[in-house]
Amino acid sequence: MSGRARTVTRVTGAAALVTTALTVWLGLWVTPPAQIQGTLVRLLYLHPPVAWVALYCAFGLAALSSLLYLWRRTRSLFWDRLGASAVEVGVVFTALTLVTGSLWGRPTWGVWWTWTARLTSTALLLVLFLGYLALRRVPADPDVRARRCAVAALFAFVDVPIVTFSVDWWQTLHQRGTVLNPGLTLKVHGSMAWTLGLGFLAMTLVFVWMVLVRYRVEVLSDRIGDAQLEVSLSERWAEGPTVPAATGDAGPPGSDGDGSAGSPLPKPVAEPLGGRR
Amino acid sequence: MSVATAATEAVRAPAARRRPRRRLRLLVVFVLLAAAVVYLLVEGLGSSLDYFDTVSQALAHKTRIGTTVFRLEGVVVPGSVHRTVEGADFEVSGGGHKIVVHNAGSPPELFQPNIPVVVVGHFTSSGSDLFVSNQIMVKHSATYIAAHPTRVRGPSGKIVR
Repeated sequence: MSGRARTVTRVTGAAALVTTALTVWLGLWVTPPAQIQGTLVRLLYLHPPVAWVALYCAFGLAALSSLLYLWRRTRSLFWDRLGASAVEVGVVFTALTLVTGSLWGRPTWGVWWTWTARLTSTALLLVLFLGYLALRRVPADPDVRARRCAVAALFAFVDVPIVTFSVDWWQTLHQRGTVLNPGLTLKVHGSMAWTLGLGFLAMTLVFVWMVLVRYRVEVLSDRIGDAQLEVSLSERWAEGPTVPAATGDAGPPGSDGDGSAGSPLPKPVAEPLGGRR
Repeated sequence: MSVATAATEAVRAPAARRRPRRRLRLLVVFVLLAAAVVYLLVEGLGSSLDYFDTVSQALAHKTRIGTTVFRLEGVVVPGSVHRTVEGADFEVSGGGHKIVVHNAGSPPELFQPNIPVVVVGHFTSSGSDLFVSNQIMVKHSATYIAAHPTRVRGPSGKIVR
């Protein structure tokens, strides 16, 4: 990682920590209790920001990266890795959305869970993107896997507007949007409103930091995979050629100009080895 | 450029042009499929995804509903709540109509007059307006208002009225 990337990650992490701490302080101590909900209203500063990150930041970024990967002019493994990182973080945030929603639902509605449209479509979203993560584990050529996953992410993303508009299209137990309602009128005021705003900022920063770190892990694990392949190839090379026909015309390691993977072996030998892994 | 290369170029050109067109067709198919899924969810499933019937909907479809269990939504009528040994008796209103609810089981914490609730249960008979329920869920609004907006903090940091 370049020095600049490292600085950006650190600054984002620090900003995420500070804004989250501020939100906790404002949310728990400074903001007033609400009418009807009393002190239960404090979950307002956590649950909607977490859902915002899951639906729009994470899955929005995943859908955008998938499109840019599928678009031939912008096709690059960068978008594939970024999309995968965003989905993984998004799945964590979707699970947190369901957990915080459940914790809020029990004392306010009276139930931990119920099959109302907003909740059902959110649970479906979690399952769809868990499917994406499962698909990534299916062994395949990196390009094939990237294309598959990009299509899967776009398909799963169809559920995002359904979750958003579920409270407008159907009668649900979940209330309609406090911010994202048809008239876009903010239904919360004063210190409660800006604490909610700060909560959105804090969770977005946490998301950005997590994606930056997760992207780095993805790059490193790919590099380890390449290095391991290289090691096993050179070990095999040291054992001596087993397929005389294939190695007969091979030049000395690295002389063929195909330095893409840094492999000291020509392709014909790598083929049977690949099968052995 | 020789004649032969020019000929190969000429042959290759339509093939190269065909690929993006196939891609475009795939994209169109994908968008159509996605639109179809959304359309089916919204139109096909339609009102069957509604979580409850409002008071006026329930009264309008009373003959069809009969004594089957469904979820009924309405606002708790002030002054109608009577706590009983079993739970609570109260009225819910909506669209200018009222339904008497007889609930068994303790109501949730936020249950109070003037709050919208969803009750799970059934009418006692197709002719009666008495609704017997065993669960109350509170449906709170999306509006959050400070409980004591006039309260201010004194110099000591303590809340003063």
